[in-house]
Amino acid sequence: MPRALITGITGQDGSYLAEALLADGFEVHGLVRPHRDLASSAIAHLVNDPALHGQRLFLHRADLAEPATLRRALLATQPDELYHLAGPSHVGLSFELPESTCHGVAFGALRWLEMLRDLPRPPRFFQATSAEIFGRPALAPQDEQTPSVPVTPYGCAMAFARHLVGVYRASYGLFACCGILYNHESPRRGESFVTRKICRAAAAIRQGHQQELWLGDLDAARDWGHARDYVQAMRLMLRHDQPADYVLATGQLHTVRDVLEVAFGVVGLDWRRYVKSDPGLLRPAEPARLVGNTAKARQDLGWSPTTSFEDLIREMTEAEVRASTDSRPSAS
Amino acid sequence: MPKKALITGITGQDGSYLAELLLRQGYEVHGLIRRASTFNTGRLNAIYADPHRSDVRLRLHYGDLSDASGLARLVGQVQPDEVYNLAAQSHVRVSFDSAEYTTDIVATGTVRLLEAIREVGLCPRFYQASSSEMFGQAREIPQRETTPFHPRSPYACAKVFAYWITVNYREAYGLHASNGILFNHESPRRGETFVTRKITRAVAHIRAGLQDKLYLGNLDAARDWGYAPEYVEAMWRMLQQDQPDDYVIATGETHTVREFLELAFGHAGLEWQKHVELDPRYHRPAEVDHLVGDASKARQQLGWEARTRFADLVKLMVEADLQLLQAQREGRLLPSL
Repeated sequence: MPRALITGITGQDGSYLAEALLADGFEVHGLVRPHRDLASSAIAHLVNDPALHGQRLFLHRADLAEPATLRRALLATQPDELYHLAGPSHVGLSFELPESTCHGVAFGALRWLEMLRDLPRPPRFFQATSAEIFGRPALAPQDEQTPSVPVTPYGCAMAFARHLVGVYRASYGLFACCGILYNHESPRRGESFVTRKICRAAAAIRQGHQQELWLGDLDAARDWGHARDYVQAMRLMLRHDQPADYVLATGQLHTVRDVLEVAFGVVGLDWRRYVKSDPGLLRPAEPARLVGNTAKARQDLGWSPTTSFEDLIREMTEAEVRASTDSRPSAS
Repeated sequence: MPKKALITGITGQDGSYLAELLLRQGYEVHGLIRRASTFNTGRLNAIYADPHRSDVRLRLHYGDLSDASGLARLVGQVQPDEVYNLAAQSHVRVSFDSAEYTTDIVATGTVRLLEAIREVGLCPRFYQASSSEMFGQAREIPQRETTPFHPRSPYACAKVFAYWITVNYREAYGLHASNGILFNHESPRRGETFVTRKITRAVAHIRAGLQDKLYLGNLDAARDWGYAPEYVEAMWRMLQQDQPDDYVIATGETHTVREFLELAFGHAGLEWQKHVELDPRYHRPAEVDHLVGDASKARQQLGWEARTRFADLVKLMVEADLQLLQAQREGRLLPSL
């Protein structure tokens, strides 16, 4: 049975990827930080399934800051595929935590690459990077050839990780790939991200638990896709003939305002009555016109996203309505 | 009150030349030095004075780019008007073997220094030592400020990160922060593991009969080689501009290691073919392409131009190593190169 090792398995992407690999017939190993509570994580449903956990899904406690724990997990599991998804993921926060962002993103990648370089038969390696590497691009849409011009510490760190993967692929012949992922969301998105924040607020306002919602720039536009679609591309990349970097995106731009329209529309409310704009939530340097061209992924991997923007925001809002109803015993 | 400058990497080739330049300009110069059990301040001998004297304008402080709180304390104490970040693990081939250490000092070290400045609430002018290695597999020839980066070594990846994070602090916080994208720059103070100095040192030893063979990697590697004292002047000029910006600093000429060998051995009356052997261990896992810089922007905006040409550079380095060896054999100490 083929084996995969996933870092960041408790996050949004890791959990969808674990599901996809289990469906492919893989034995899936995940690295989990020592104090991570699994019951509140995105893989709680997998961990609670006795047919999977301890049978085809195994979790190992490890920490990216402790290389010995990574090496041990790698040698113990001997995976065919290694997906490195763990690391800091909040762009705005990277202005406050630039050093640990650099460390978590770039060192995380580098430590794996260094270990793989020493193995006689290294696994195929996937590194998650972000459209934030393009920062303020001269051209839209961006593809794999577009120069990096990062404008946030997070973007700088991601560009760094991508460059390192390129160096190790060229210097040591590793089968190492970067996904250049544009924003990808789902009901499992962290609560501090704007889409999840909006969908959650729409549900809470509908049910009378919340009165208003503070947001930054409502005209900020992003290329938003569904995380479930994007993890499919990750596995296709590692099974292709040649290692390469791929842009993963929808190619469509939508604004925060568009998210508000759909999310509040799902619960039958007019967002204009509840939303306030807070300049404190604006980022010091805001990237512009980030939208991806996925021609290469379509051509080489036969991949294209299947979930529309409206369906994505609808699914997220409905999940919030359900969660919020379930957690209130008095609700009908 | 004299202006105050803080230099990381002051014990290196560029740091020592820059310190001399700034002292000549009347600055008070503070340098960050790493604690080591042996002195590594040889390049500063000419300008270093006993700190107990009250008129000294060069002060050295123990510290390390891996120590964030120490950096913040030092920046707070010194209150510099200008900060020059020159410290690095600067050897490209070594970065393949010590990738993590290189990355920690070059990339994360730069963030730590920028954060120390932000934390202390100062707004000094900031110079970041960026490198032509960032162009790597270059997308155009010659390379200028707008050429996209394609790094080919862990060192170059880390330098690209440091470049962008410097731009980021300029744009996000209005810091007067500039990148100098310096092409190779050499001098008699170049570290002995770099190919130019390795060659000129070997020439002196071979001529004195102390050495027979010189082992090198890729003789076809081509670089744009300039003279370091001129390059540190470009750094200083960048920080005297009204607006911070990024500049390529280069000669615009390219020469191979083979040409360097011809001139260096020739100058001492030797034939390099009799002494040079190839050792694949010195090859980089991935070599960079044709690196040659276009410094037009620096010429127009800073009035800076490389003056020392390749042949003169090789000659002055060989001469210096011949003299140094002579002095060592006679038991004399040269105060400085």
